[in-house]
Amino acid sequence: MQRDVGSLPLSPALRARLLAAGFQTAQELLETGPCGLSKEIGISREEALEALQVVRQECAGDAAKTAGGSGSTRKCTALELLEEEQTQGFIITFCSALDNILGGGVQLTKITEICGAPGVGKTQLCMQLAVDVQIPECFGGVAGEAVFIDTEGSFMVDRAADIATACVRHCQLIAEAHQEEDHLQALETFSLESILSHIYYFRCRDYIELLAQVYLLPDFLSEHSKVRLVVIDGIAFPFRHDFEDLSLRTRLLNGLAQQLIIIANDHKSAVVLTNQMTTRFGQNQSMLVPALGESWGHAATVRLIFHWDNTQRLATLYKSPSQKESTIPYNITLLEGSQEYQDVSRLTSKFTGNLCPFLLVPVLHSFCPSC
Amino acid sequence: MATKKLRRAKLSQELCERLSRYQITTCQDFLCLSLLELMKVTGESYRNVQKLLRKVSLACAPKMQTAYEMKVRRSINPSAAFLPTSLHSLDKVLHGGIPCGSLTELTSPPGCGKTQFCITMSVLATLPVSMGGLDGAVIYIDTESAFSAERLIEIAGNRFPTYFDSDEKLFCMTRSIHLYRELTCDSVLKRIKSLEEEIISKKIKLIIIDSVASVVRKEFDTKLQGNLAERSNFLARGASLLKYVAEEFSIPVILTNQITTSLSNGLAIPADLVSPAHDLSLSEVTGASGSGKKESACVTAALGNTWSHSVNTRLILQYHDLLTRQIVIAKSPVAPFSTFFYTVEKSGLVLQVIHS
Repeated sequence: MQRDVGSLPLSPALRARLLAAGFQTAQELLETGPCGLSKEIGISREEALEALQVVRQECAGDAAKTAGGSGSTRKCTALELLEEEQTQGFIITFCSALDNILGGGVQLTKITEICGAPGVGKTQLCMQLAVDVQIPECFGGVAGEAVFIDTEGSFMVDRAADIATACVRHCQLIAEAHQEEDHLQALETFSLESILSHIYYFRCRDYIELLAQVYLLPDFLSEHSKVRLVVIDGIAFPFRHDFEDLSLRTRLLNGLAQQLIIIANDHKSAVVLTNQMTTRFGQNQSMLVPALGESWGHAATVRLIFHWDNTQRLATLYKSPSQKESTIPYNITLLEGSQEYQDVSRLTSKFTGNLCPFLLVPVLHSFCPSC
Repeated sequence: MATKKLRRAKLSQELCERLSRYQITTCQDFLCLSLLELMKVTGESYRNVQKLLRKVSLACAPKMQTAYEMKVRRSINPSAAFLPTSLHSLDKVLHGGIPCGSLTELTSPPGCGKTQFCITMSVLATLPVSMGGLDGAVIYIDTESAFSAERLIEIAGNRFPTYFDSDEKLFCMTRSIHLYRELTCDSVLKRIKSLEEEIISKKIKLIIIDSVASVVRKEFDTKLQGNLAERSNFLARGASLLKYVAEEFSIPVILTNQITTSLSNGLAIPADLVSPAHDLSLSEVTGASGSGKKESACVTAALGNTWSHSVNTRLILQYHDLLTRQIVIAKSPVAPFSTFFYTVEKSGLVLQVIHS
């Protein structure tokens, strides 16, 4: 009630007039009433009414906050948070080693960043996640939908279809092994068409389209409330050229990060970003580091770096609030008929000449809800 | 999209006039401001500014499509998704051939056959669809003056003798290949910008730029301060324009690149961060020259890291021994690493099977 007039979200011209007329607190405004206000300041009655409604809303929000109710800031105890985290699902990647180092899979309500050199498998993993988020709950998934924002044009529909087919097949095998009623029921709606229809694809060609799309995302997610994953494949690409003003870029990226955190929290979905690597010249050596600068490193909660060791691909968990740093090997493998399961210990790094339709499912393990 | 004027974003006339006084005329200017700045320039309240933001975003944002719709669209026209290279094993692994709608890069040391490959692809693109071609014209941007029309006719005549049985057919094919000789980066960029209109007017189905590296490396010396940033800028702009054109018209774009040894004065990229295909090419080069020692520097594709991210498919050509060469699929969203051996003959590239 004692809130200063200068801090109210009114239009600047109106605010200037109120201050010039001598109003200091919100209480004074509310006491004056719309007619008095319009006469004193010289605005129309409708404008005065609108202004008072804004003021009333703000004060109601303030009062709720001080009384400890739920407003734009949430307050809860750590115990409630613990219970929430434990019941929260993960989006599994079907690579047991990768899921292990992530603590179960890609976490909901957090931003995960995947960095890597070109050709290492970032887009493959994103497509994999867009399929895996749709796995029904009885198989251990989160039964959600996916939004795929593509800035580099590397999304291949055929490849996504292959991954989806492999996933459906995998779930069918589990259902056959366990023979439970709800498994078979879930499988009826879990098909290639349904998986592909629930991947919402946006192709953003420059950073303005990306910014515009992220502004519109909250509305989109409110309409499609089952979305549990937002993938932005190539957050670096639109920001890495045509930017003379680096401070503008930092500001835009920070704003983007903020909005993504809000989206992740409000809609209980995971946000996955892929980043490029850039060369940094040190004293005696050059290193590859994630692009977009130091301050961008703070945006993501979890950071994975994909890299090579001779012919073996490795994934390193570089930053995580709950898991420790570790590195695991993985493979982008083929999936054809009976050749499905590949153990980590039996990974071969040689690729033979006769290759079948190429699918990404890094190291499958027999996934079973009771394990 | 970014340069869309605010008038077309359905903002009111007076608001547009007010904003133009602050030099805010396009959607790009509008979206780059923070909320407080927007409140100041529009003179609106917080809630109204958010509504305006949503309106402007709607004008710029891309349309949504589901993956299923994309798949259905592809399956209606499957032959339009790839351009077969007529090297059958390569096509099989690449799921059809050079993909349409994305950038494919061809990298190799000099003399391996990049230009030969490009000339062969030009011939293939002009063939009718029944023979695996795209039945369209080709734009060939030549920066090294390496294109030879005689070789073009030789390859066409030897590779498809039954089809090109008359002079008339050969001339028809050569008429649909449009050659542009561009010798500076500026002119290359101008040419790329003009591509959109040319594609529509001449019914182009394939774009080849041979080679990007020679013109860029001539003009930008990365040892000089500031040149590296300018070079990346030029490459990124070129890449995004080409990607736009490739996706919009669903045509393949082939670019050629050179090989470079990594930095000489002690700076070397650690081996674990460079892809294995690069290591392979290093071992081949030292093997051929006879020295058995492996150097700490390694051989990589030129034009830097950012460029490697921009291309979607990368094929590396290199020497195997005196006569045979090999083609390696180094980066592809649909194919794993594979190696194929070939020789260059009268009819262009011919795959060989090597029994080790």
